[in-house]
Amino acid sequence: MIRFESVSKRYPEGREALIDLTFAVEAGEMLFVTGHSGAGKTTLLKLIALIERASHGAIEVHGRDLARLKRRDIPRLRRDIGMVFQDHRLLMDRSVDDNVTLPLVIAGVPREERARRVRVALEKVGLQGRGREAPAGLSTGEQQRVGIARAIVGRPALIIADEPTGNLDPQLSEEIMQLFVSLRQTGITILIASHDLPLLKRMKQRVVVLDHGHLIDDVPASQVA
Amino acid sequence: MNARTAMASIVRHSRVALWRRQHAWCLRDSLRQLARRPLGSVLTIAVMGLALSLPLAFYLLLTNVQHLATALGDSQSVSVFLKSGIAADGADKLAATLRARADVGAVGVRTPQQGLRELAAMQGFGDAIKSLPDNPLPFVLLVEPRAGTDRAQVATMVRAVRALPEVDLVQDNGQWRARLDALIALGRRIALLLAVLLGAAAVLVIGNTVRLDLRGRADEIAVQRLIGASASFVRRPYLYEGACYGLAAGVVAVLLVLLLEAVLATPASDLIASYAGRLHFGGLSWATLAVALAVAVALGWLGAWLASSRYLVRFGNAG
Repeated sequence: MIRFESVSKRYPEGREALIDLTFAVEAGEMLFVTGHSGAGKTTLLKLIALIERASHGAIEVHGRDLARLKRRDIPRLRRDIGMVFQDHRLLMDRSVDDNVTLPLVIAGVPREERARRVRVALEKVGLQGRGREAPAGLSTGEQQRVGIARAIVGRPALIIADEPTGNLDPQLSEEIMQLFVSLRQTGITILIASHDLPLLKRMKQRVVVLDHGHLIDDVPASQVA
Repeated sequence: MNARTAMASIVRHSRVALWRRQHAWCLRDSLRQLARRPLGSVLTIAVMGLALSLPLAFYLLLTNVQHLATALGDSQSVSVFLKSGIAADGADKLAATLRARADVGAVGVRTPQQGLRELAAMQGFGDAIKSLPDNPLPFVLLVEPRAGTDRAQVATMVRAVRALPEVDLVQDNGQWRARLDALIALGRRIALLLAVLLGAAAVLVIGNTVRLDLRGRADEIAVQRLIGASASFVRRPYLYEGACYGLAAGVVAVLLVLLLEAVLATPASDLIASYAGRLHFGGLSWATLAVALAVAVALGWLGAWLASSRYLVRFGNAG
């Protein structure tokens, strides 16, 4: 599903964000990427979504060699990935339904099918019947659920989430992580960047640890204690 | 139809359906954005409408000057006024002499009685003519240059006719007509220049409005790009927005010109009546107004395209 081969990323100002990273994520696997602030977690996710391009090495996502992917093909790659952000990135002047339906509009899904899929996605995140509400009227945890519904509504094979619990209290963080675990059980590959190590340990999933751009540990789910 | 052709047809049909659905959504989105800031939208439309109405009004003026020129005749005819002592047989003899010239096509003789009747038919002259003790008008020869004769040859002919002893006055109708045509051509050029300048201004007005709208919706555009929207998908609502502005401004411009026509209709008809109906005041044709609307839509679209393309090049990829 995802393969990093000796990947490095150096930003134009000279900062080395990732150095010689090699790892792979299998289809249907759930992987946490952790590390201190500035370790390279977000950069790693940006490379997968081609928000940034790697300086060296090869990245393969869904069998596509990202280095060879042309600029015009990037939108199609992103449509195959569900993205969840720390700050939700919801359109606050639109309803929950409008936010969740946006990836389907972009994909050109017919209106009736859109309505059905949005309903299903909101049910999965526990927000059934809340589609007409404005995101501003929801709690932070509910807003993050809307963000997750938007990420899964297009039925992606891969979800990447950047600090999805960063703004949430411990109880809500646990709920959101459990939501990701349940999504993984439907066969979706999930890659989450988070610095909340105690929470990750409780999830008992594979954890990759970054430090100053280096991959310093890759702990299988069975060894997470 | 084999399976391959059938599959190609299905794919083509689904692509058209996808394209239609995306366009429908983008059109609704742009109309919603316009409705959310009614005052700003109305002001933009008013400014653009006024800018577009100016060349249209100028074109209306030119069209009527053209009508005037047409009504006054488009021949290069030369009116030769004979001396008052010349009688009918003298006029006929001179007409025959002129007909023999290589540069003359036809010569008509207008008697003093015919001239007087024409004058009497013109509004305001009837009573004055009745009070005359006798007919003061001379014989007039209407000389039509031969077809294909240019202005220089006509001028030579006029000089020759002017030198004849029977001739009192020669009026070269073609000369002032040529001046009028030159003035109309100049006016058309000015109208075109005005249209180009004000059209460019309209593009800038729409471009700036769309640019501000793009900035106001930067977060939304970033999200759209991150979840897989292509540049053309992001741009499309703004193109519709520009086209909607253009259409509305075009309607405003057309309404303003129609209003101008209505305001000018009464004084123009009074003027026409004073010329015994020889002149004609006409508005712009529906075809011209339709073209003006289409141009307005195209200008709005162009302004939006320029603004959105520039924005997407600068900020559009990663968000």
